[in-house]
Order: sequence, then structure tokens, then C-alpha cells
Amino acid sequence: MRSQPKMQNIVLDGLWGNNPIFRQILGICSALAVTNLVLNTMVMGIAVIFTTALSSLTVSALRRWTPRVIRMMIETLIIAFYVILFDQALKAYWPDMSRNLGPYVGLIITNCIIMGRAEAFANANPPGLSFIDGFFSGAGYACVLLVVSIVRELLGMGSILGIPMPFFSSALWDRWIIMVMPPGAFFTLAVICWIFRSVQAAKETQVPGGKK
Amino acid sequence: MSMREKNWFPILYMFITTLLLSAVVIAFGTITRQRVKDNERIAFERAVLEALPIDLSGRTSPSEIHITYRENITEPTKSTAGALGYRKNDSLIAYALPIDGPGFWAPIRGVIGIAADKQTITGISFYDQNETPGLGGEIVKSEFRDQFVGKRLADEGTSLEIRMVSVELDESSVHAITGATQTSTRLNKFLDKRLSAWRDAMKEIE
Repeated sequence: MRSQPKMQNIVLDGLWGNNPIFRQILGICSALAVTNLVLNTMVMGIAVIFTTALSSLTVSALRRWTPRVIRMMIETLIIAFYVILFDQALKAYWPDMSRNLGPYVGLIITNCIIMGRAEAFANANPPGLSFIDGFFSGAGYACVLLVVSIVRELLGMGSILGIPMPFFSSALWDRWIIMVMPPGAFFTLAVICWIFRSVQAAKETQVPGGKK
Repeated sequence: MSMREKNWFPILYMFITTLLLSAVVIAFGTITRQRVKDNERIAFERAVLEALPIDLSGRTSPSEIHITYRENITEPTKSTAGALGYRKNDSLIAYALPIDGPGFWAPIRGVIGIAADKQTITGISFYDQNETPGLGGEIVKSEFRDQFVGKRLADEGTSLEIRMVSVELDESSVHAITGATQTSTRLNKFLDKRLSAWRDAMKEIE
């Protein structure tokens, strides 16, 4: 029998080693769209963590009964189910945020991270571990998005979470409006992927026996 | 042959899963439907009150908004040409005219308040917009909206103009948001259109 993946590895993989954004380059669409303000990004991150964790759990719990031929339809159905619940809850209890995020909450359904985790992990592992895997993959996504949004809001608006920051909100700093516009997302994400991957590569060459 | 290997099993499985999950979604949707509707209604009522010379300080919870709205605002009648009325002791103090039109990304909906003289602006507010956060989205901030208070609709030309920050203002113009040219231009266009149409209609009524 295949050995079960270790909890610690799952957590580290989701957050860093196999990070969905800068290692797998998945879920980029929403990463570009919702990162111009830190608050929007935080809520989007929570939505993705909620969906990846619970859909991985459900896919895993049903894995022994789900016929292989229709497993992807079932996975999509489960993912859509959680996303719609989150969207409805947001509309009912936080209407302002629901308006800010617009269609992007609904588009989580098509976020490849979630389907990717269901296919690559939840289909072959027990529910508990799948939940952890989904949770930390979502968290890995959310962390990178937060970094992107902090850079964008700070350079573009001189604030973080709407709070003016010293220097960046003063007259000394000429706000880079382009950072909160769509092109700013591409610049920031590319630079962040570059930095993170370089750090990772440097680490791997240090470890004896690691990839050169 | 067990049930799981039968041809019809995947169909049945899909059917049952869809049924169960849809049932939960529909149930949750039914529970929250009224709340979602109320939220939209309150957002509109709040916008109406904010456009009028009403002091809302300390009365901003949804139920307080609703009560204040019910006590002060009258629905549009023929004599107001589609505007809501703000009345105190039966005398009309101001009109609240709903405005809407295309924004940069999505339609913008709001309310503009006009005093009983049909010329002085008492305020403007927006309850539905999807402009770029930090740029066009700044129209909802008080820094932008407060400029409108006390402005007078021009008798000729554009009734209310949104000008570039470098251009000087007169009593019928306000400054645009730097970097949000598209939002400002579009807002200016439909604002002017709605205001002129309303004023023409009001003249006819008189």
C-alpha cells in the first residue's frame, strides 16, 4: 500500500514548496482581478480557503462510491455548491463586499486550484488529510494574493486596508495609479513569482542531493 | 455483478448528488432571499437620505435608516416628475432625484438632492457602482460628493459640470477625480441629461 503523505509536508507544500500561484501558476485570473485593495483580497482568500478545504473533504469522503467516469462532473458540482453558498451568504450578510467582488466569487468555481487539489490529492487520500491539503493550498493562494495586494495598494494608493501609510500617502510619493489598474497586477505578480522562485532555487542548490 | 458496476449507476449517482446539493442551495437561497432584498432597499434608502440635507449622524443602522426614510420621504408623484420628496410639516424642503447611467465598468446608480428652489444641489450619493477601486470608485467618498453641496444648476449649457482638477470652478461645477477620466466623463454626461430632463418636466408641470 502507498504510504500516506505526512501532515507537515502537506502544509508546507500548500504554502510554499508547491504553492498554487508561484509554483503551479494556477488561479491567476482571480489573482490579477481582486488584488487592487487588501480588504477585497482578504475576503477572496477566505472564500477560496473555504471552498478548497470543504470541497476536498467532500470529494474525498465520496471517493469510494463515486464512479470514475463521472468523477469530474461530481467534483465540479461539489465545488459549485460551496461557492454558491459562500456567494449567497456574502450577498445576504455583507452586501458591500459582495458588490466589491462582483462576479469573482462565482468564478471561484472555475479556479483550477480547487479542481487540481480534488484530482491530485482528495481522490486518493482520506477526508481529514484532504481537508488539510485543501485548506493550506487555499492559504498558499491567499498569502501570495495578500502580498500582491499590499504592494499594489501601497504603491497605487499610499494606503493599506484603507489606512494611509507614512511616506506613501505624503506629497513625497507620487501615487502610481497604474498599480491599482489591471496592468499593475501583471507587473506585481510577475515580480513576486520571480523573487519567490529565485529564493526556492537558491534553497534547492544548498541542500546536498537537491536539484542543481 | 454489484450495483456499482451497472450502467445506470453513474446516472443515478449524479442525479441523487445533484438533487441533494441543489436542495441545500435552494433552501439557503430561500432563507436569505428576503434579507438580500432588504439590503438592496436599505442601500437605496440610505442613498436618498444622504443626498438630502438630513443629519444622519448616529442613525446609520439599517433599521434607523428605514425609520428616518419612512418619516421624511414621500414617493414620486406627478408634480415631482419622478423625484422623491423630502417634506417637513407638509412643506416640501427638497427633491431626491434617482439617477443612473453607464459607468466605466458597469452602470452607476445614485440619487441627487435638489432644494425646493429646483436649483441648489443638497447632495449626491451612489448606491450601486463598480468603478475601479481607488479611481472611479472614489465617487462614493465624501471628498468627491461634498463638492456638490450648495452648487447651483446652470441655466444655460451643462447644468452641472465635472471639470479637470486643473480648471477653475464656478458655482455650477465640481472637480473630477484625477486618473478617473472615463468615470467622470460618463457621470457628467448622464447627470446632465437626467437633470435637464427633470427640469424641463418640472417647467411643464408649472
